[in-house]
Amino acid sequence: MNTRARVSRRTFLKATAATGVIVACGGPTTAPPAATGTKAATLSGTITVSYPDELGLKPKYVDKAATDLKAKYSGLDVKVDLQKISSGDYYTKLLLALSGGGDVPDVIHVGGDRIGELADAGYIEPLDRYVSQWEDWKNYPDAVKDGVKYQGKVWAIPYGLDMRWLYIRREHMDKAGLGAEWTPKNVDDILTAAKAVKDKVSGVIPYALYAGAAGDTGTANHSFVPLVWAYGGDIIDKNGKWIGDSPAVRKALDYYARTYNGGLTPKELLTTTKPWTAMRENEGKGTLALLFEGGWVYGGWTKAPFDPAAVQKNVHYVLHPTSTGGPSFTIGGPGTCWYVTAKSKNKDAAWAYIAQWNNKDTVAKLNIEDPHPVARTDSADVAEFKAQQYLVDSTEALKKARFIPTDANYGKVIGAIQKATGRVAAGEMSPDDAAKRYTDDLKQAIGADKVITQ
Amino acid sequence: MTAVGAGAVRPRSPSATTAFRRNGAYVAGLTPAALLLTLFFVGPSLWALYTSFTNKALVGLDAARPRFVGLDNYLRLFSDPDFATVILNSVVFVVGSAIIGQFVLGLLLALLLDHAERRRYRLATVAYAAVLLAWVNPTLIAGFLWVAMFDFFYGSLNTGLQLVGLPPVDWLGRFPMLAVIIANIWRGTAFTMLIFLGALKTIPTDIYEAARVDGANAWRRFWDHTLPSLRPIAALALLSITMSTFGTFILIQTLTNGGPGIRTETIALYAFHEAFRSYAIGYGSTIAVVMLALNAAFAVFYLRWSRARA
Amino acid sequence: MTTLGPQAQAQVVIPPRTRALEGGSRLEWALMHLAFLVVTVFFLAPFVWLFTAALDAQAAPYIRWPSQPTFENFVRIFDRYAFATALGNSLFVAGSTMLLTVVVVSLAGYSLSRIELRQKAWITYAVLLLQTMPLSATMVPIYGLARELGLRNSYLGLILIHSAIELPFLIWLMKGFFDSVPRHLEEAAWLDGRTKLRALFEIVLPVARPGIAVAAGLSFLSAWAEVLMVLILIDQQSMKTVPLAFYETFRTAGGYTEVQYGLVAAMAVLYLLPVMAVFFATRRLMVRGLVATTRGL
Repeated sequence: MNTRARVSRRTFLKATAATGVIVACGGPTTAPPAATGTKAATLSGTITVSYPDELGLKPKYVDKAATDLKAKYSGLDVKVDLQKISSGDYYTKLLLALSGGGDVPDVIHVGGDRIGELADAGYIEPLDRYVSQWEDWKNYPDAVKDGVKYQGKVWAIPYGLDMRWLYIRREHMDKAGLGAEWTPKNVDDILTAAKAVKDKVSGVIPYALYAGAAGDTGTANHSFVPLVWAYGGDIIDKNGKWIGDSPAVRKALDYYARTYNGGLTPKELLTTTKPWTAMRENEGKGTLALLFEGGWVYGGWTKAPFDPAAVQKNVHYVLHPTSTGGPSFTIGGPGTCWYVTAKSKNKDAAWAYIAQWNNKDTVAKLNIEDPHPVARTDSADVAEFKAQQYLVDSTEALKKARFIPTDANYGKVIGAIQKATGRVAAGEMSPDDAAKRYTDDLKQAIGADKVITQ
Repeated sequence: MTAVGAGAVRPRSPSATTAFRRNGAYVAGLTPAALLLTLFFVGPSLWALYTSFTNKALVGLDAARPRFVGLDNYLRLFSDPDFATVILNSVVFVVGSAIIGQFVLGLLLALLLDHAERRRYRLATVAYAAVLLAWVNPTLIAGFLWVAMFDFFYGSLNTGLQLVGLPPVDWLGRFPMLAVIIANIWRGTAFTMLIFLGALKTIPTDIYEAARVDGANAWRRFWDHTLPSLRPIAALALLSITMSTFGTFILIQTLTNGGPGIRTETIALYAFHEAFRSYAIGYGSTIAVVMLALNAAFAVFYLRWSRARA
Repeated sequence: MTTLGPQAQAQVVIPPRTRALEGGSRLEWALMHLAFLVVTVFFLAPFVWLFTAALDAQAAPYIRWPSQPTFENFVRIFDRYAFATALGNSLFVAGSTMLLTVVVVSLAGYSLSRIELRQKAWITYAVLLLQTMPLSATMVPIYGLARELGLRNSYLGLILIHSAIELPFLIWLMKGFFDSVPRHLEEAAWLDGRTKLRALFEIVLPVARPGIAVAAGLSFLSAWAEVLMVLILIDQQSMKTVPLAFYETFRTAGGYTEVQYGLVAAMAVLYLLPVMAVFFATRRLMVRGLVATTRGL
């Protein structure tokens, strides 16, 4: 908006001697409509919304939210910066932009697992003052809210959450003599079933348990951490100290030893590049019997080249069992979230965009197209969402979700987890020794003062 | 011919102004390059040197408050047992793919092609084109092509093995270094081949005639005449491919990403991972500085060695 | 350092094939052909995947004959991924980089070759050494620099930086090349009263064609393949180059990257063929240039 226009409007207004009207340097003729209950009556200026688009599904929603917001506040311009690169590269570019001087985007779109490190770096703005006045916030379950909290503050708004299922192929459970509707009675039951498949069903991989660095974050999120929880322990305590050697860790590593030594999972998982690609495909096609993996993977199996009917019939999904009880929990993640940057020059408008985007319908529709459970419970009531049994189940399951830690050091902890599981799986160390070494690796990675043992 | 005025090659002129007049044009000719080099190489290198003494990160606490840590990064690097492995990997990779691989294969190919040209073998042209095609390939694509070959579950090599009844081999898992070396040889041989091809063509053929008349067989001709003529060019080719192989990382990243564990983590990849996976750019700069120093050491060593020969 | 005098230089031209059919034995023929066969198979095998995947709508990271060979991938990359834009940008950037680089390194190489400087050898090696500074270390400062100078999201920025990337090596190469070009030609021109610049243009450059071909080819190739720099310099879709277009075909679902292999293969095929054709067509010139270069170094 150029100064000439502004001056002429000011002159005009002065000339009409309008009183008691707060006029922003916005539209001259109609007063802007009131914002949805929260902040300043009008917003103006320009904000930039930056996001990477991986599957091609988001642009229509992002653009729509931008248009809707601009319609509400005619003095506000919303620039959408769509980066057609992977989210990993996007994050690198974003960090480069945020770490230097110069302009930064106002709204960014990054995985929720980055909350800790972004907050520590001072790159993002805490959102408590906004969510406390946002009506929609009550629709987000407490577990979900906790998933985006760090050091007591809310930092990001999630919409499509991550959760994981234990996938079981019914036809192989049947052939192994366990019955098609078999579910594990406890954690060890998974191994029993795997052994039965190994013995009685040929040509099928019994079980896939990610270990080592090859499994990437899957080694932690899809394998080790759920096992530690199943055995009654945790990887981080209430005071934020990471737990190294502990009974649950030892039992989890022992589980690894039994799995790998028993030949229940292919050793190539330790060394193949991107083993999850093959394992997911195998489960979808039926050449793998048991797999604990992301919930979103199921969505991939409902399309070509998989056979949706066969998948519907044969793929049974349940929660993760504990050491004493059957399927009962899942591990959740906040998914990709929306943030406001700390250096934004227009934080109120940035927040308004986020609030605009995260409405019931958008959240529901996007998560139908890219199947994920929704972060807000009212979205689960949207008709199309409810129509997909799978999505309903996933959202229900989230009520029993424990979330991965938002701590900034989690990335380094994953490295230590990879080393520990890798050593046990490769047969290089016994579970107990590996547990002790895990403590040492943790201390080296994040500092001895942040690690405790039990 | 007597050289006077501004064209003298070996002047003994005393005055600085004459020297300037002679060299002034050359200094001007160097200016655009000097400008670009300073902006994009010297400047960033100095920045990297400075940053290597800090604990700067792109994210996390060290991004908000980076500290000057002196030689801490260097101490950490040299006392890290993984670093020794990384250096070893780099040496193995360079020796395997550059010195043994590209160099020897390039030389062999050049000899074969040169010989074939005299015989007019048409298959030679096809082979030549194949080698070139592998070279002009952008690295990203080369990475994919070889992943498709090496993948355990579905790769072409294993599919072929299974077709003839052999069990699949976990190339990237059990022989990761060999795999990346093969991929790199495939990628880069064309360069040395081209250099040697040209070099071979400049060897006067009358030397061969004389040798043949003297009764020397093909092997002797090669050993006594061809090789020595190639030596200076060989030395330079070696320097060039060593330096560039030392810095190769995109290919390794696509194939194994340094894994399994750190079995194929070369120093270039290690620097990249520290800087852009862990976002510890202070530490990443440290590794880069060490790389530069290693390259410099190698260049000095090479210079001495080649001077001794010439 | 040169082992061959000016006469041998004349023999840079390929010698006449007077001995074309000099009694090669059958064994020799068989062995040579076997060798070439092995070489061809080794170097071409990975490309089999490329071409089968490009024609396969459901390509995977392994060779398989497509169940329904189709050009669908090629259509899609132009429709949905704006490949034409990417290709156009790549051609423009790589071409401009080539021109700029050739000018800069020819000037610099020639100047470095002719300048009188006692530490010339050390400076030459120092320049070459710059090339070994890893990109991972320089990316952060170059990003900052590009932003300060307004070079981000601009063709000028792309061209300048793409040029800069190969400069040290190419300057070193060109210096070597010019070292092998004897000075008597220029000196005669100087005696005639021409300035150094005119002499360079009129006398030296025509002889320098092979070297320039090398510099042009290598700089084009390097700019054509550069991906990291483009990634950090460009935000807008309209300016993307082909390497970035590759990235677009990687989808990230749930934190894991999946590649749409058919699309990547189609892009790669279109990406490769023109470069390959040009290189193959100019191979003789490049070989001559490389030889002269290495002789001079």
